[in-house]
Amino acid sequence: TLVVLVLALGAHALTPSHHLTPSDLVRLQDVLSQPYTDLKAAYLSIVGQSKLGLSVEACDFIKSNLDPSSVESLFYAAEASQTIASCEIPVSNETRDLLHATVSEDSTMSQIHQAVSALSFLGLPLASQEVVSALKARISKEDNVLAITLALQTASHLSQQAELGEILEEIEDLAARLDDLGGVYLQFEEGLEVTALFVSAAYALSDHVGVEPPLKEDQVIQLLNSVFSKKSWDSLSEAFSVASAAAALADNRFHKPVIVSAVGPATVSHSQPLLQLQVMDVLCQSLSSANVLVETATSAATKATILSQTPFTQRDGIFQLNFMASQPASGYYQFSVAISGDSRLVGNHIELKVKVSTKVSINNMDLSVVDKDQSIGTKTTRVEYPNKAKSSFIADSHQNFAMSFQLVDESTGVELTPHQTFVRLHNQKTGQEVVFVAEPDSKNLYKFELDTAERKAEFDSISGTYALYLMVGDATLENPVLWNMADIVLKFPDEEAPSAIQSKNLYVPKPEIQHLFREPERRPPTVLSNTFTAMVLSPFLLLLLLWFKLGANVSNFSLSPSSVLFHVGHAAMLGLMYVYWTQLNMFQTLKYLAIIGSLTFLAGNRMLAQKAVKRYCTE
Amino acid sequence: MSNSVISVISRFLEEYTTSTPNKLKVVDAYLLYILLTGAFQFLYCLLVGTFPFNSFLSGFISCVGSFILAVCLRIQINPQNKGEFLTVSPERAFADFLFAHTVLHLVVVNFIG
Repeated sequence: TLVVLVLALGAHALTPSHHLTPSDLVRLQDVLSQPYTDLKAAYLSIVGQSKLGLSVEACDFIKSNLDPSSVESLFYAAEASQTIASCEIPVSNETRDLLHATVSEDSTMSQIHQAVSALSFLGLPLASQEVVSALKARISKEDNVLAITLALQTASHLSQQAELGEILEEIEDLAARLDDLGGVYLQFEEGLEVTALFVSAAYALSDHVGVEPPLKEDQVIQLLNSVFSKKSWDSLSEAFSVASAAAALADNRFHKPVIVSAVGPATVSHSQPLLQLQVMDVLCQSLSSANVLVETATSAATKATILSQTPFTQRDGIFQLNFMASQPASGYYQFSVAISGDSRLVGNHIELKVKVSTKVSINNMDLSVVDKDQSIGTKTTRVEYPNKAKSSFIADSHQNFAMSFQLVDESTGVELTPHQTFVRLHNQKTGQEVVFVAEPDSKNLYKFELDTAERKAEFDSISGTYALYLMVGDATLENPVLWNMADIVLKFPDEEAPSAIQSKNLYVPKPEIQHLFREPERRPPTVLSNTFTAMVLSPFLLLLLLWFKLGANVSNFSLSPSSVLFHVGHAAMLGLMYVYWTQLNMFQTLKYLAIIGSLTFLAGNRMLAQKAVKRYCTE
Repeated sequence: MSNSVISVISRFLEEYTTSTPNKLKVVDAYLLYILLTGAFQFLYCLLVGTFPFNSFLSGFISCVGSFILAVCLRIQINPQNKGEFLTVSPERAFADFLFAHTVLHLVVVNFIG
């Protein structure tokens, strides 16, 4: 079923945006009816299902798993057995004393809750005032949401004569602790389970005491949204809490949230003239005593009011209204619906968007080929839907192809302007298709003209036979139209060789890009560079020649150690230069240069000094 | 006009061959060698293009640098210039020449790539 659109417009009250659908309820039941192995799971399952209105036979399991020395076990057994018909738990004096002893300031809130509930469900007498004082003491010590919720639940078992006023005030304090999420949800930060338990405890106590819980309508709806926002439940206890909350909201003395949903899509047409609504409580039970009234129904397009204060009639739990009887034009309508009949109803003003659909019929479809020079139509053919024109039309560059037609509502004859009115030409040979839009003029008469010369680009100037289609579609049309009206032979001037149009397939692999590595620079031919290398080295030969000619003083070469060392060192330095060029880096070179250089320097110094002395002596 | 140029040149060559000491001629021959090497490198660069530019530069600058250092050496060992270089003996000049060359070659080889 369609979820009702929510419109929170300030003054308008909130309506539920989440609720349990029948399938959700079935799923909840399935979760709760899973097989159980211990008493706690049995309790959650049995009591949870009873909240949903199902009774389970499990008395023997409860009795056999009961541990009379444990307060918790007694609580589970007591409440579970209450939901099963004629299932009595035997109670001994020790059990009773144990339970009474647990009711004290020194027990935890959870223990007090379990003891009091067990006493209540087992039909044993309670000292209500004692419980109240114990609860008050525990509330001040355990100031968390779950503890106070358990206190509320506990108080709902106490005698009405006891002073429950202070505990009742806790509902308001807890409600103030709820977090408002976006104006839609209201929940405790502790989570969904605690929120749901709060809902059931608050209503349990309020019903018991007879005081309306201090929750505004919007807050109730927001709590409902939070509790029913989750449609699959992680644990049995979470499912149990949701079932409890649902039962509390479905049937308490003060607030009854109402869920309204349309049966199927909210659409009416001549074949389906009834707008059908389901009005239910939170547990998907139909509210047959309710009165459903359309306050206003306005057209979305014209804003005219079609209906005002019109009641729905009820049939088999479904509320229906024959909207087509008001003969609405096709389109969308905004319905404002009010549900009354119970003073407890909450969220009972609904805004609903209803669609009226219709069938379109195409009238007066005239196809013609008009000469451009004269404005006299040469041939006008009328085609009736869904037939195809018997002969094909021929249009070349001197002619225009024209089309005119009307779209009307089949039943009322009112002219329609649907969203999609397209003219499609499909070349069967090449697979090419071209689509144009047909537009209505001021009198809602659709006209389309194809100028073959002007439009040749769209057709890629491919002449040939094209199938002519009309496409009509709209959200409010029940019968969208694809109509092959005729074949047109188009002749374009300057026809290029027709290439088969390949459908644009976007998902084929694209051509591979070959990576272009950086091309090395153009080198001169090896011959040239070798020649020049020789040329550059040749002056050295010239030098040797000249030196020889000049009679360079090779004979004066002294073989003193410093001289030899100098020349060796110098040669080594030149060799180091070569090695630097080929292999080393600057740091290594400097290191070696320092060593060799200093040796050479010392040797050279000595050698030159000797030379100087020699020269000095000869001068 | 050309006559006087030719006569000047021939006179110059004559003077050169007779009055220049042998040491200086040795250095001059070295200078000529350096010059030719540099010229040939430059010619290659003009013909073929500047790729790889760093190699051309280092080679050319090596020639230019060597030429300059040799010219300095020549000036310093010329006995006619002795008056201007009282603190610098020919040996010292030669040692400076070698040291400067070491630095030059270090830079050139670094740049030659």
